Amino acid sequence: MQPVYLDHAATSPLRSEARAALLPFLEGEYGNPSSRHPLGVRAAEAIARARDEVAQALLVEPRQVTFTSGGTEAANLAVLGLARAARARGRHVLVGATEHSCVRACAAELAREGFEVERVPLDARGEVDLAAFTARVRADTVLVTHMLVNNETGMVAPIARMAKLARSRAPTVRIAVDAVQAFGKLDCALAELGVDALFLSAHKLGGPKGAGALVLAPGVSCAPVLHGGGQEHGLRPGTENVAAIVGFGAAARLAEGQRMQLLPRLRELRACLLGRLADLSGLRVIESATAQQPGILALVIPGAPAEVRVHHLAQRGVFVSAGAACQSHARELSPGLRAIGLDDDSIRRVLRLSLGPTTTLEDVVRAAQALLEVSCELERAAS
Amino acid sequence: MIEGISQAPEAVLVRYGELTLKGANRLDFENALARNVRRALEPIVPVRLQREHARLLVFPEGRMEAVLQRLQQVFGISSVSPVWGAPCESEAIVECARRVLDDALLALPPGETRRFRVLSRRADKRFALGSMELDRLIAARIVRDEHPLRIDLDHPELVLGVEVRESRAWLYARREPGPGGLPVGTLGRALCLVSGGIDSPVAAWMAMKRGCEVVFVTFHSPPYIGQSAVNKVMDLVRVLGRWQRSARLYVVPFAPVQEALRDAGAEAYCTVLYRRTMHRIATRIAALERASALVTGESVGQVASQTLENLACIENAAGLPVLRPLVTFDKQETIALAQRIGTYALSSVQEPDCCSLFLPRHPVLRGSIATCEEIEARVDIEALVAAALAATEPHNLGPTARMRKVST
Repeated sequence: MQPVYLDHAATSPLRSEARAALLPFLEGEYGNPSSRHPLGVRAAEAIARARDEVAQALLVEPRQVTFTSGGTEAANLAVLGLARAARARGRHVLVGATEHSCVRACAAELAREGFEVERVPLDARGEVDLAAFTARVRADTVLVTHMLVNNETGMVAPIARMAKLARSRAPTVRIAVDAVQAFGKLDCALAELGVDALFLSAHKLGGPKGAGALVLAPGVSCAPVLHGGGQEHGLRPGTENVAAIVGFGAAARLAEGQRMQLLPRLRELRACLLGRLADLSGLRVIESATAQQPGILALVIPGAPAEVRVHHLAQRGVFVSAGAACQSHARELSPGLRAIGLDDDSIRRVLRLSLGPTTTLEDVVRAAQALLEVSCELERAAS
Repeated sequence: MIEGISQAPEAVLVRYGELTLKGANRLDFENALARNVRRALEPIVPVRLQREHARLLVFPEGRMEAVLQRLQQVFGISSVSPVWGAPCESEAIVECARRVLDDALLALPPGETRRFRVLSRRADKRFALGSMELDRLIAARIVRDEHPLRIDLDHPELVLGVEVRESRAWLYARREPGPGGLPVGTLGRALCLVSGGIDSPVAAWMAMKRGCEVVFVTFHSPPYIGQSAVNKVMDLVRVLGRWQRSARLYVVPFAPVQEALRDAGAEAYCTVLYRRTMHRIATRIAALERASALVTGESVGQVASQTLENLACIENAAGLPVLRPLVTFDKQETIALAQRIGTYALSSVQEPDCCSLFLPRHPVLRGSIATCEEIEARVDIEALVAAALAATEPHNLGPTARMRKVST
């Protein structure tokens, strides 16, 4: 029996169309996009098409899209690059309280460089406290960076409103948004969010690993982090990962095309899953009261730690994560979950199920069944 | 709580420019504008349109900012406003006005007093209050302590607009300029000779602005010049295509014509003769496309081939009127427009141009038609034109429209 894969927030399977689009560039189409002969020109054209596909999904001009090696590199470029480029205007930076580790690490780097880094305040429900946030924006605030969809909980931040409020206090502030978990699920059109930068990853929406992008609003200056040849308008030098970028473009086009249908489906699947777990005693769902990406379910299940549950579920062919997959290397408990008010005991019991475009009703039913079985089994073992 | 008041802008109010003046043709213009609006928005979001007297209301399912941006690229529109709706009764309108103002003030620095006024229009004359009365009523009810507003009728920073229509009142605080001009397609079709330079894309845009749908032709000289020069033109045509929702480009291989003219001893005349032949080929493509004019980016005195005499030589070979929207523009004026249109950055990428092949050191400044004809008599121009047309490749770079096959 095929495993039930409910870890789409960690990575999504490669879409077959993306695979078909990228394969030629691992075979005969091996040209360097900077070469002027037909092999090179065709590689450059393929990248231009991919750039167009990503740009169209976000309703921006192709030249606003800079390809990177993935979400982490795009986040580094956005957070470090935007703050460094604005250094002359101020040194104050506001960072979301629940950011992905790569953004937190970049913020720590900015602090070492002499920036004053503060957190975006949250209210008692773990959502952005807009009034306190506005009060924290100062005339010398040069960068606000915040995620659109939280990777651990699926909570959606009110980015458009935050951007407006921040600019009312600091007209030249740059707003950078981690859209890695949002792209392909929510509308990420740059102008709609009213922000200066978005960073994206290909493999979360059915593209290959090894490609991501930074999308900048027109006229926003960003300092490069890598130095080299003039590729990607000099913002991200290095010979382009043509195949991965081509796969990214195809995946972005498909994901954006299916977005409107996907969201109601994810809502249904979420409701079905939670409905079947209604009998699980003490179950708590961490979710936003105002806006939620329904494909991510953060469940606090009392009893055995989530880590134990993950392995028991895996034995039954159901693949999920304990918290964010990318933090499983780290020993520390998730600072994001702590920031929204969870105690350590609860954090150790957060199980993350994340659904995607390939998730079926049957998957969800099997997963719920397995969760209930595992709970019974663990309870019996404990008593 | 009054029912039926928007929580957020629910539609975009589109104001027409010149076309309200066009008398009997007005219906045609309005139809064309509605069609163009639909074409511009359909790729980004589903929309519903509602025609009102001298206005168009666009109801998009989200993506309001993108909708506003796209509408600012639809010729014939003079301005657009995201609007909030309320039932046509004064209490509801006042409540809606509060919401519109709260939203507008959100984005402004707190604590400063803003100069403000209300500007009502009463399209539905059955509404009990006159425009001035409504202005006063809203202002009196809104300007209270919590809003840092001061009435200033002459120099307001913030204008709260109200349009009372039959079914609903529409309120707004934002008004963005449209591009003006006339709806693309209402003045027929033109064929633009486009290169990778700065000028010809701007010329095409200006023809579109005056209601012409523009089809494009470019001349390419492989193997002397690489494919990337054509790709650059394609990129430009794609950008221009957004202003009219079609982007059709004919790519004509031109090297055989240039070689033949070189071998015929064209020397000083070569640029003029290239351009004469381009105009002949373009005239034939225009016939296929049922285009009734050619458009070029020529400007008097800008380069050697653009003296009055040389322009006369070139035009003599065209079988259609040649529109030169930039004819009296300075380079800086053209650059400023190119930046606004979004073609400047693309045009600035260095790529060789087919006109630069076999150039003489001293091109003729005051060409004569007789000399042109004398040199052309040494080659079989008709055969060269026919061969170029036979090898012409049509490319559809836009979302709509089909291409016609070129046959000779």
